[in-house]
Amino acid sequence: MEPAQNTEALDQQFKEFIQGIKKAVAAGMPHLKDDPKVVDQSIADCKEILDVVMEGNVKEWLS
Amino acid sequence: MFTDKVDLKDFEKQDPEYQDLLRRVLAIQADCEIGGPNLYVKDILPNAPTKLDQLIVARTAAEEMDHFRKMARLAGDIGVDVSYTLSRPNQERYVEAFRGQITTWEDYAVFGFLIDRVGRFQLEEFLGCTYLPLARVVEDPDIIREEEGHVDFGTNATAEFAAKGGESKERIQKAIDYWYVKGLDMFGNSKSYRSERYMFWGLKRRPNAVARQQYKDEIDALILKMGLTLPDPNKGRLYT
Repeated sequence: MEPAQNTEALDQQFKEFIQGIKKAVAAGMPHLKDDPKVVDQSIADCKEILDVVMEGNVKEWLS
Repeated sequence: MFTDKVDLKDFEKQDPEYQDLLRRVLAIQADCEIGGPNLYVKDILPNAPTKLDQLIVARTAAEEMDHFRKMARLAGDIGVDVSYTLSRPNQERYVEAFRGQITTWEDYAVFGFLIDRVGRFQLEEFLGCTYLPLARVVEDPDIIREEEGHVDFGTNATAEFAAKGGESKERIQKAIDYWYVKGLDMFGNSKSYRSERYMFWGLKRRPNAVARQQYKDEIDALILKMGLTLPDPNKGRLYT
């Protein structure tokens, strides 16, 4: 059975998105009480990735 | 009743109905998984009440994206490209509950409480199913545990709003009234022929009506425990 085109590439791209968000969340969580700048940066990093995902421009990601 | 266990290498040897049903259910499941973040990321991530809540929203979205990835991989492996679900407008989602936009924290809470709970029920349908790659994905403890985490967060947040009383309770009741029937509708038509075929092929475990009733029993008890009012289960329903 031939997989659909881009199956592997989409899977890899999503792994990167997911790891990026989880890494940003993990960076911010320990500093909720002591370093608002770190937390703000974490949230900004999450937002940057999520904005790309929500835009859904798959062709651009995989090109 | 079909009881064989099918792996990817044997997929093409299966009955065309089996292949069609599996392709269909994986596309719908992928659409629902990415449909959640598309409902709430835009407005809720920047406007969640606290920074902790913002990080939780981001982490929840990442977990749903990972569920999407797993379903997209299963679909892709049998020749179905579900990447169109990433760019389609919310209004075109397969399931009605994902066709709007979540703009309030109350709606985000109840979405977790009621709609992510349907998500957990839907994933549980595939436990022990005849298509082994799908069974393996849902039997990996991560996916159900993450979904339960989203449900628990939503349930606790909803209960907190209800416990505050006054306007908070009124606002959360309004959100319950909105999402309650959407959750019930997500189980589809009780007399669905396709639902029977899914069961025949061992791709789902319960008839739509049974799963819906189990879900309803679970949420009704929780809503009443929170001191909230049960909405009319028939008002505004698309499927019965």
